[in-house]
Amino acid sequence: MKSGIKSDSFEKFTVIAGSIMNPSVQECKDGGRKVLGYTCSFVPEELIIAAGMLPFRIRATDSESAGRADDYFESANICSLIRHTFGKVLNSEYDFIDGAIVGGGCDGNRHILDNWEKSPAKIAFLDRLFIPHASNNLTAEFFLGQLSGLKSRIEGYFGVTITDEKLWSAIRLCNEVRELQRELYGLRLSDNPPITGSETVAVIVAGSSMPKEEYRDDLKKLLRELQEVQVPEKKYSARIMIVGPGHDDTSMSDIVEELGGLVVNDLTCFGGKVIFGSVKEDGSDPLKALADYQVLTRPFCPKNLSAHPVINKEVFDKSKEFKVDGVIGQVFLCCETWGGEIFILNKELRDAGIPLLRIERECTADSTGQLRTRVQAFIETISGGAL
Amino acid sequence: MINVFSQLQMQAGKSLGGLCLDPQNASPGPFVLGNGDFFIEIPAAYGCSYSDLTITGAMGTAMPDASELIDKAIETGVESRMCTALKVACYYLEAGLVRKPDMIITSNSCCDSMDTLGNLMNTYKPWAEVPKFIMDAPHSFDEESYIYMGKQLRQAVTFMEDVFGRKMDWDRLREVCVLSNKQDQLLLEFQELKKAVPCPANPDFSRLGFAYDRWTGERISPQITDWLEQLISATEQRVKDKLGIEGITEKVRFLWQELAGTWPPVELWGRLQQELGAIVIMDYMSFGTLTPIDLTSEEAMFTSFGKRFLLEDPMNRQCLHTTDFFCNDILQIVKDFKCDAVIIPAHIGNRDTNSRLKVVREMCREKGIPCLVLGMDIWDKRYMTPETAFDRIKTFFETTGLI
Ligand code: SF4
Ligand code: SF4
Repeated sequence: MKSGIKSDSFEKFTVIAGSIMNPSVQECKDGGRKVLGYTCSFVPEELIIAAGMLPFRIRATDSESAGRADDYFESANICSLIRHTFGKVLNSEYDFIDGAIVGGGCDGNRHILDNWEKSPAKIAFLDRLFIPHASNNLTAEFFLGQLSGLKSRIEGYFGVTITDEKLWSAIRLCNEVRELQRELYGLRLSDNPPITGSETVAVIVAGSSMPKEEYRDDLKKLLRELQEVQVPEKKYSARIMIVGPGHDDTSMSDIVEELGGLVVNDLTCFGGKVIFGSVKEDGSDPLKALADYQVLTRPFCPKNLSAHPVINKEVFDKSKEFKVDGVIGQVFLCCETWGGEIFILNKELRDAGIPLLRIERECTADSTGQLRTRVQAFIETISGGAL
Repeated sequence: MINVFSQLQMQAGKSLGGLCLDPQNASPGPFVLGNGDFFIEIPAAYGCSYSDLTITGAMGTAMPDASELIDKAIETGVESRMCTALKVACYYLEAGLVRKPDMIITSNSCCDSMDTLGNLMNTYKPWAEVPKFIMDAPHSFDEESYIYMGKQLRQAVTFMEDVFGRKMDWDRLREVCVLSNKQDQLLLEFQELKKAVPCPANPDFSRLGFAYDRWTGERISPQITDWLEQLISATEQRVKDKLGIEGITEKVRFLWQELAGTWPPVELWGRLQQELGAIVIMDYMSFGTLTPIDLTSEEAMFTSFGKRFLLEDPMNRQCLHTTDFFCNDILQIVKDFKCDAVIIPAHIGNRDTNSRLKVVREMCREKGIPCLVLGMDIWDKRYMTPETAFDRIKTFFETTGLI
């Protein structure tokens, strides 16, 4: 649903989030700045920024068909986000990136790299980053080793030097951005916020698809505008939180909001998980600060066996803080990683009296149409009456 | 008269029955429960029982009421396409059928399904106060990763010592490792004997031997050494006599590129052997490189545990690593064991294999290796029935001129 925001920055974010290639990236490319894609939020953007490049989160925006990717990934067994994302790669939609780092999250994600290497979609620099599956000092140390190896390979291949100063500066920039994004999220604490859940998704997605400084400045502008806007009184039937993997499309929030609800928060890879916390700025080793942040501070991926208590706490805390009436656990078909997590979360939320609706869907935007009735029934139930 | 092979099969089969839910629940002593293959020498030396809930779940799929059990597992609401062995394990847990352990050890190996089970075990409310240890199996196979994995296994020992208030007997661990090395050596000798044409004994003894050795209550006992020695001596005799598997005229040798599962060996492989002379010369539970545990120092020992965990556990070997690594294994097996074809069950729930099919198919085409991809559930024969699987394999062998 649209709140009716009138803002150039917001318009810009919407355009950027709605497509893959966008004018800001083009401008970077024209100016000679290289673009490094990445597939998982465990890949620290700070490292790419410190290398003087533009980090770009690889996604499957607007995909209607996985196309030739289904030859590589068995469609009945592999989640559609993987297949559609790789479909975009094979369709040459990522030809503009100068390299990619594949985060070794779930099984399908890991194999994007292997299949990319063997596919006709050649790419000059293709690397992987292993993601730890437990959070403790030893795993953080191992991840630090992984990051350090990746750093050297980026330096070697692109002929750049990633100094500590550059890393600290990128850390400060990204921390500032995360703080602004959290401020944006904070606006939906109110009963009548100036921005909807759908609109927020677009703002966050844009953040991983354009230069960070430019994004920070536009986001500051948007926040100022939103703080000044006079919001017409509206009554929402239910305040919803969405939990699940990386949905960059707004279709589920759209449905909720078209049905009179409001998505007030989320814990997804294009939302609450990437804006969480800050990298510590007071240590002596910036790479260690990044490793600790990813492994110890925000281990939100259920591929990590230590993640559940952290996910659980975040969902409970945010539910309370944002006066959530119900949670939608949104999972892509064949995603065991999140399928299992939502299963566990459901039991715990049920015990706490917080309703959860589990939705399994394809990652295409049109796949949500048929779910409308279920979402409607859910909202009716939690709001205590017909809409 | 029962021949030695039948005797050995019965002996191991009886012991494997102990991996089902009820005998597992009745096993004595401090009870450590894992979601996967913990490095088995450790509990064996420590003197506690260890159960891998995945295997217990897998054994459930071989019970007479398997269909009902699998349906109940689906009804729990776990991801419907996850590996059926794991779904049944989840069901056992959720239904409160698993004995409360004294310690839980989980890791992400080998695949996404394992994470779900591990997460479920770690968050299961009635076991909230059970001490838990989590390990991270990296998707890499280099010295650094072996050391890393070894360090975690070493930490697991300290954790056990803290939980149970009793120290590991390091001399005993060494003894167990010596015995384990010996048994692995014997398993490898059997693999060597399988290379003969015709194959002298049912190649499935590798799988049986591996499971008997590593998973059952007798694990790493002298009784298993004896079993393996009998197997080898009987097989050597057949090689000398240039005999193939009794009653079989060998026509096709193929790689079954997956774990055996529970129903294929019983309801498919036997028929393929009998009716078509087609034998599964290697499957992925039988395949392991089994490098000996290095006993020169404690550190070396744990690093070799780490290496074996990442590289030589069958499920980890096929799932954790790169497609190139996976393809190299296929080529090596085809060459060493003189396979005429590769059959890829493409087991649902195995996201790794299902993400590699095109690359593997193309590699086989390039190398001139006939390759068939099935798309089945190795734990639930309703997904693709044994008859359908047999017909498809038979047609494949006919069209490729192998029979
Ligand atoms: S949705 Fe699930 S299966 Fe798909 S990429 Fe994300 S974690 Fe992996
Ligand atoms: S490796 Fe295969 S058989 Fe083992 S749990 Fe995973 S999917 Fe199931």
